[in-house]
Amino acid sequence: MPLSVHGLRKSFNGRTVLKGVDFSVAAGELVAFLGANGSGKSTTLRCVMGITNPDSGSISIDGTALETLQGRELQQARQRMAMIFQKIHLVPRRTALDNVCAGALSRIPTVRSLSSLLLPADVQQEALDCLDRVGLADRAFDRVGRLSGGQQQRVAVARALCQRADVVLADEPVSALDPHAAEQVMALLRELAHSEGLAVAAVLHQPDLALRYADRSIGLLHGSMTFDLPSTEITADHLDTLYAPDRDVSDRDVSDRTQAA
Amino acid sequence: MTPHTLTPAVARRDSTSESRVALVRPKKPLRWITTAAVAAAVVGLHAVAIEGTDFKPGLLVDGWKGMAAFIGDAFPPDLSWEKTLRPGLEATLVTLWIGLLGTTLSVPSALLLAALAANNTSPHRLVYQAARAILSFFRAVPDIVFALIFVTAVGLGPFAGVLALICHNTGVMGKLWAESMEEIDAGPQEALRTAGANRIQQVANATLPMVVPQFVGLLLYRFDVNVRSSLVLGLVGAGGIGLLINQSIKSFQFDSMLTHILIVLVLIIVVDQFSAWIRRRLAA
Ligand SMILES: Nc1ncnc2c1ncn2[C@@H]1O[C@H](COP(=O)(O)OP(=O)(O)O)[C@@H](O)[C@H]1O
Ligand SMILES: [Mg+2]
Repeated sequence: MPLSVHGLRKSFNGRTVLKGVDFSVAAGELVAFLGANGSGKSTTLRCVMGITNPDSGSISIDGTALETLQGRELQQARQRMAMIFQKIHLVPRRTALDNVCAGALSRIPTVRSLSSLLLPADVQQEALDCLDRVGLADRAFDRVGRLSGGQQQRVAVARALCQRADVVLADEPVSALDPHAAEQVMALLRELAHSEGLAVAAVLHQPDLALRYADRSIGLLHGSMTFDLPSTEITADHLDTLYAPDRDVSDRDVSDRTQAA
Repeated sequence: MTPHTLTPAVARRDSTSESRVALVRPKKPLRWITTAAVAAAVVGLHAVAIEGTDFKPGLLVDGWKGMAAFIGDAFPPDLSWEKTLRPGLEATLVTLWIGLLGTTLSVPSALLLAALAANNTSPHRLVYQAARAILSFFRAVPDIVFALIFVTAVGLGPFAGVLALICHNTGVMGKLWAESMEEIDAGPQEALRTAGANRIQQVANATLPMVVPQFVGLLLYRFDVNVRSSLVLGLVGAGGIGLLINQSIKSFQFDSMLTHILIVLVLIIVVDQFSAWIRRRLAA
């Protein structure tokens, strides 16, 4: 398994946000995370990426547990995972090609990465090939700020490819896009999984996208997994438990509002 | 829609109907005491300040004759080419060059210190504190003091002015640049960190490219300010048109002084328009 996660727990200021999350993503598979706002989807991905430190739990890449690694080895293992963000996080003033090259920074000596003029030719060629894989080779020398939202997110995917990641984690990659661009990006992620063998996990805001594109869907409710099923087996009941109006009294916001009414 | 067709839920929003929630602002009993205390403090400070600066408008009224004579002597401005205009224009160019070099030559030091003094790019808390302290020092010492110091080292002349501006401008521009870096969206930098880029690579490939427009805008603003500062530096012997203005006042040639001031006026308008033009093009 390229990525497997066991017993992931995390609390912020004494409030438990992840209560033991277990999942794995196989090569060639697109897995969707579903859940209401605040259910812990982003925290899960951020813990896996190492942006946030989990309280406990084990994350393995190709069977190697990250907690057994240190220093350079840990860094190299982490670089096999790339993250795609809802807000895209490209540099708008730079060209698509320069942004994609940035995915390769960990392989480039620091002095040669200070300016796009110094970047090694083979890295630039690889970046162009990555742009080609997302269908944007013809926009390589356009500033990213001039591209549409959907094109920008595809450039971000190309950056992940240029990182040579084999696990791609995407946090609401299409939430900021119009419906057509969202379909395009989802199709691209699915294709990368199915034909290039990447392990892709994506947090999705719309369940229908998950049902149509993901091979498997995982439901998160208050930091616990409620289901982990092939998307074809997901029913309306499954989704209702995730998004139904909150009956949990521990959620203070909601109970306050109920009292006021 | 006529009122009687309203559903109860909508009718409740009508301001004339009875509200279901009472409007009660939380009371803040100490509010007016605070306001009064602040007002008293401001008035008191002004009283002390007026006393401390010998601020007496009456003196201005009594002394109007002296001022009128001074201005009378200055008119008409002396437009003789050899005696006033040519030296004035040449010295103005020197002033412009002092401002230009003082700005551009402080870019490397300001850039380095800004990167070390911005909390999103600084490598370590101690480095951050040290860089902030250095910037504060260069900012706190006025350029005119630097000029006086450098005049003792390299002698009277424009070179001392350039050195003085480099020092002071490093402090000011470094601070402004550091602040604009801290305000920039942290997302792209975080994205590169998760891709395994080291700190320097993150700064060079995300943070700096993101702040280029702000940096150039601030650079132009500082150029504008520095050209005006270099005028004042001329007064303490650092060359340029300021020096000529000082000399013409000391030798009571007020008509030459007026010519020089008019030239300065043109220079400042030109520099101001130029930097506004560039900033407009950047924003577009
Ligand atoms: N850095 C943080 N500090 C404190 N609380 C956080 C932090 N990050 C997330 N949370 C909280 O954790 C919960 C889960 O957040 P998140 O994982 O972003 O949810 P989701 O992505 O499913 O909407 C939320 O209640 C959120 O407020
Ligand atoms: Mg989220």
